[in-house]
Amino acid sequence: MSDVFSSPFFGIALSILTFWIGAKIQKQLKSVICNPLLIAILLTSVVLLAFDIPYESYNEGGAIINMFLTPATACLAVSIYTKIQILKENCIPIVVGCTVGSLASMGSVWLLCRLFGLDEAMTASLIPKSITTPIAMEVCQSHGGIVPVTVIAVIFTGILGSILAPFLIRLFRVDNPVTAGLAIGACSHAVGTSRALELGETEGAMSGLAIGVCGIITVVVSMILL
Amino acid sequence: MKIIKQFGIIFSLCWIATVIERLLPIAFPASVIAMLLLLICLMTGVLKIDHIREKSDFLLANMAFFFIPAGVNVINYLDILKANWLPLLLICVITTVITFAATAYSIRLTIWLLGRRKGADR
Repeated sequence: MSDVFSSPFFGIALSILTFWIGAKIQKQLKSVICNPLLIAILLTSVVLLAFDIPYESYNEGGAIINMFLTPATACLAVSIYTKIQILKENCIPIVVGCTVGSLASMGSVWLLCRLFGLDEAMTASLIPKSITTPIAMEVCQSHGGIVPVTVIAVIFTGILGSILAPFLIRLFRVDNPVTAGLAIGACSHAVGTSRALELGETEGAMSGLAIGVCGIITVVVSMILL
Repeated sequence: MKIIKQFGIIFSLCWIATVIERLLPIAFPASVIAMLLLLICLMTGVLKIDHIREKSDFLLANMAFFFIPAGVNVINYLDILKANWLPLLLICVITTVITFAATAYSIRLTIWLLGRRKGADR
């Protein structure tokens, strides 16, 4: 009987169901903490653990969902392309800001990991935590990190960034919408961008651009340094 | 047929990116290669947004869904998380603030320098 869970339909259906529940909950509570992805991961994990279903069975379907990550990342190009005009107009601040931001993120993670005595695999899993999930997973994997830890750290950072954004803008006295948007995107990728969009159109566009630019910069820098 | 064609375009690009990834001497992720390829195709006019609009809207709008299996894999690593939850939490909070500050201040400095140069030109 247990092999019914090995059908790819099981994993896909369970993922869709839990994601749908997550989206419903967020719509009801309107809180960033109720991130649909986080809820879906939590609920799916609970179901697997409660019914003692091995991850490998679930992953028969999971692998099919996973396959869509590459095309989804590719489509980030579309969101960059639709903002190409703003990118050209603010080329220097965007490139400088995203480079410094990515370096600061990776450097501070590395330093703190040393400080807390975390091992190499853990460090590699956390270093890409400020960039968008699909690229972060690739960076983690190619440096021997633990992909699920990266996914959790990336989502958590995103939620954190979107909660802290208005506070950080006041704390560091950011009065320029271009600066605010880029800073939000650089530290908290897509989850932060949805918050940036609430602050204003420029903030949202800049934050969206920072996702792609910081992702590329982090890949290149991690290849050179690690 | 329209959606199938769009799937075809994107998946072909992804496959070409995988080939390039194999050929490259360095470990550059195929997904980022695919993204750069698509951006080049759009900028040179080889592809129009209309060629891939529905498919890319679908993927971008539902992006988060595709991370569920990777995240659920965490059930195989619960002991690592349990052993390290405090440093993980602290690292995420501290580095998020540092990243925000570094980005904001570097841009502020850049804009100021650019403004000064423009002023000097006049």
